[in-house]
Order: sequence, then structure tokens, then C-alpha cells
Amino acid sequence: MNDTVPPSILDAHVVHRVHPGLTIDATIRLGDEIGVLFGASGAGKSTLLRLLAGLARPDAGRVILAGASLFDADLGVDVPLRRRRVGMIFQDDLLFPHLDVAGNVAFGLRGASRAERDGRLEEVAASCGITGLMDRRIETLSGGERQRVGLARALAPRPMLLLCDEPVSALDLPGRRTLLDRLRGVQRAERVPILYVTHSPAEAVTLGTRLFLLETGRVVAEGAPAEILADERRAEFRHLEGVRNVFSARVAGHGEGREWTRLDLDGGPALTVAYVDEPPGARVGVEVDGDDVLLAAGPVQGLSARNQIEGRAEAIAVHGREAEVVVRTGELRWLVGTLASTPDVLALAPGRPVWMIIKARSVRVERTPG
Amino acid sequence: MIEIPDVGPLWLSLKVATAATCVVALAGLPASLLLARRSFPGKGLAAGVLVSPLVLPPTVLGYLLLRAFGRRAWLGAWLESQLGLVVVFHWSGAVLASAVAAFPLFLLPARGAFEAVDPRLEDAARLLGRGEASVFLTVTLPLAWRGLAAGLALAFARALGDFGATMMVAGDIPGLTQTASLAIYDAVQAGDSSRAAWLSLGIASIAVAALTFVQRTLPTRAGRP
Repeated sequence: MNDTVPPSILDAHVVHRVHPGLTIDATIRLGDEIGVLFGASGAGKSTLLRLLAGLARPDAGRVILAGASLFDADLGVDVPLRRRRVGMIFQDDLLFPHLDVAGNVAFGLRGASRAERDGRLEEVAASCGITGLMDRRIETLSGGERQRVGLARALAPRPMLLLCDEPVSALDLPGRRTLLDRLRGVQRAERVPILYVTHSPAEAVTLGTRLFLLETGRVVAEGAPAEILADERRAEFRHLEGVRNVFSARVAGHGEGREWTRLDLDGGPALTVAYVDEPPGARVGVEVDGDDVLLAAGPVQGLSARNQIEGRAEAIAVHGREAEVVVRTGELRWLVGTLASTPDVLALAPGRPVWMIIKARSVRVERTPG
Repeated sequence: MIEIPDVGPLWLSLKVATAATCVVALAGLPASLLLARRSFPGKGLAAGVLVSPLVLPPTVLGYLLLRAFGRRAWLGAWLESQLGLVVVFHWSGAVLASAVAAFPLFLLPARGAFEAVDPRLEDAARLLGRGEASVFLTVTLPLAWRGLAAGLALAFARALGDFGATMMVAGDIPGLTQTASLAIYDAVQAGDSSRAAWLSLGIASIAVAALTFVQRTLPTRAGRP
């Protein structure tokens, strides 16, 4: 699994006992990319982030950033926060309420010359989309604006690593998309590795190039987000997140009168969805709730649903009154939730064909930024 | 014919209260920060002792100070031998007594103000490259400023009006340690009600002016001019 690991900028292994039921023991290697730290609440994502930042002290391990040792339990190294060059944005923005936007963004630029400072301010304001807000007071900003100011503040002193602790969880959908767009943009412009904590599969797929799946403090899987989320589904986070099928796709074309859009799922079938305002060729993330998928033993006539996809039942798991059916189409696995008796009614068995019926409007499409 | 009284006691009160407020600020800032931010064994006891002047009768407070700072008491003897300072029956004794009496009135709001500053904001400042002194001066202090200023105003007003503790430690020596509060008592005892009235008016005006000044100059919300 590690053959695709890029040259690491962050190379960390931290061990920390949080409480008797949770010990963080995780290795994170990250290059010039966006890594996603994904897991259910309580898995230790935020704690791991704090350990990497230096906001909490690991019991053991080491944190190496761009070749410099920030923490090493064996050697007794623990670089103070102010010299770590680690930027961070938080769920509740943590902007300084007594300073205006410019004061917040310039906070990390003390010691720079005036010209240098002003130049950098202008630069990060532009890349974070807050140029028009610089004179505003913090309490006059919307949630999305605050997060962009927080991003600009963290980026201004040119950190070697940017840590994001669920920064969009309090934002509405447009606010989310804007911030995720900006994150993608600044990652490329500043070439700063980003480690992003989330429990949203949609965010993980649309934002990250590398996903670390965290379960009770341990990284149990690492790799491309769509693959991990499709292959490594586990009951623990399925039940917290609902049964979600998350895929990457490409816009293939649009229907007459912008009524619908045709998507080609990567490694899988085509899917008709409600119109998406993206040009053909654009990359999107797709999310289908497994409880919204109907199963049929064969093709069905006279249905309103736009998608009938033939697949093969791969596994059937019955838990009490409910069942989960894993359906394979091409390289993709779908998880479908049904009642416990459905597999019998449809005479489903591993290896037998099954048709999935999916309404165009039950597919959630997230634009992939950039 | 109204006689303009001697303003000496008022002037002395003002000086003593100002000096006492400075002492309170110097001792109270680290103490309130410590109580707000650190946990250590005996913290509850320490907080109780520091706030006790609020509930002790002023004469008891004065008596305790006398026992500690008298010329034959260990602290008083040390002060006299090291600094040549004798606080009993001296205006510095009035400063000491009123500072101790006023201390809790600063400590309580100051502790609350520091506790209300989100420590994660300070962490954010550290991550942005700031050292401890800079974090305190540019984040903690500005955010706690309202509570601190309110505490200082309360402490000043309390110091201005101290009677019992000052009387016990510094005595009631006209022209030397007789502050306005003591002079008012003496004037009433002597039946000089016009002097008592003038001094009362003076001391009340200063106290109210101080509180008003602080209220008016304080931002209505953190940081707003």
C-alpha cells in the first residue's frame, strides 16, 4: 500500500494515551498534497491533530517536518509552538475578536518589514478571497468569511504544514464549497502540505489525495480516498454516517434543456443525475445513500427512476431486521441497505446478478474544486 | 458664612488610594493570572486567604497587619532593617492597610476576566510565532482589559474609603496619616459638622468620578473604541 507514498514533508509517529479506552498510535507521512484524516467521532482525529501541532504532548514518538525534528520523545526534543511553523485552522475559527481582519491576518507577520508585510497580506487576502474584508471587524463577518480569514491568518507566516480541524462543519453548503475550493487553491499555490480532519465522506473524496482512516486511535487504512471509502467500509462508521456510497466521477454531458447530467463513475457505470452546472470533463464527487437504492431481480419496465444498473451481488449480511447487500459493478462496490427478508424475496446470492435502481435526484453531487 | 475646610486629608486620601491601587495591580495581576490559569495544591486555600479581607472585619484585618508589620513583628522588623521602612503610624501603613482591604475587589473580577479568555486563542497566537510575553500583551491583556479596569476602579474606591484597617495600622495623626475617612470621624466627634460634610462630599465625588471615568472610557465591547 505504501508504494505510492510521495517524498514526505511531514513524517510523524505519535503515541499518546488519551484515556483508558483510547490510545493514539498513528504514523502519518504526508508530502506536497492534501491528506485527509477520516474517522468517526471519538476515533481521535482532533487529538491526533493537536499532537502533531504541539498543542498536546505525545507520550512517545517523533514529529519531523521538512527534515527538522519538532518532537522526539527519545531525544527529549520538544520545539515550542512559536518556532514550529505549523499553521492551523479550527472548527470555531478562533479569530482574535479585539483585532480587525487585517490585524488578524497580519498577526503572524511580526518582525517582517512593512513592505514585506503589506505584500504578503495582499497575497494571502487574494488567495483566500478576503481582499474586500480587510477593514472589517470580526463580529461583522459571516461564518464562511471567518474561516477564510482564519485560513489567511494561518497561511500568512508561510507555515511548513497546515492543519485543519473540521473547519467547515459549522458552515452551510456554499460556505463549505468555497472554503474547500480555497484550500485546494492555496495548497497548490503555496505548496504547503495540508492535513484535514473530517468525518464527511464527501469532503474526504472531493478534497483529499490521500486518506488516513482512523479507528480508535490507529490508522487502519491509507490511500486514495475514494478507494478507501469504497473498499474499507466498516460497520463502525457506516452506522454513524449512514450507508453512503461515495465515488469520483467525470461529467460526460447534459440532457436537453439542462434537465439532467450524465456522469461517468471512475471504474464503474454511467449515472444520470439532476442537472449539475459543470462543463463536460469536470471532476465531481458523487454520494448515494445506500438506503435510497432499490434492488430488483431483473430489469423493470415503466419506472420513473433514470438509472437501472446491472451488477453482481458480492456479499449479503443480515443484522436483525436489516440487511446490507454489497453489489459490484465494474471496479466499484456499492452498499445497499434493505430489509432482512429482501435477499430471500429476490433470491439473491453471492455471484448472482442484481439490478440497482437509482433516482436521478437521490444522487448528491459535489463539485471537485480546481 | 461657610468656611472652606482644609483639603489636606482629601489630598492624602487621594495619594494613599492611588498608591494602594498600584500595589493592588502589581500583586493582583500575577495572583489573578495564577488562580485563573494554573492548578496547584492548596489553590482553594490560597484563593480563600487572598479574598478573606472582603469578609474580615476591618479592625481584625488591621490587627493582623499590625501583628505582622509592627516594629517588633518579624515582617516589620525585616522591613525596617532591610529597607529602613516603618509602616506603623506612617502613611505607607495607610497604603498597606487600604491595599490589603481593596485587594479582593480587584482579584475577583480580574480572575474572572482572565478565566473568560479562551486559552485556545492564546494557543493560536503561539502557533503564529508569538512568545509568552507577546501573547500576554497582545491577546490575553486586551481581552481581559474590561474586567481588569473594573477591578481597578473598585479597588481604588474601596481604598479611598478605608477606615478601620488604616486606623489600626497607621493611626489617626492629622497631617501625617489622617486620611479623609478618619478626618470625617474626628470632625463628627468634635461636633464640626460643616467640615464633616465638606470632606464627605469631597470623598464621595472623587469615588463617583473615578467609577464614571472608568465606565465612560471603557470600550462597550472588547476592543471597540
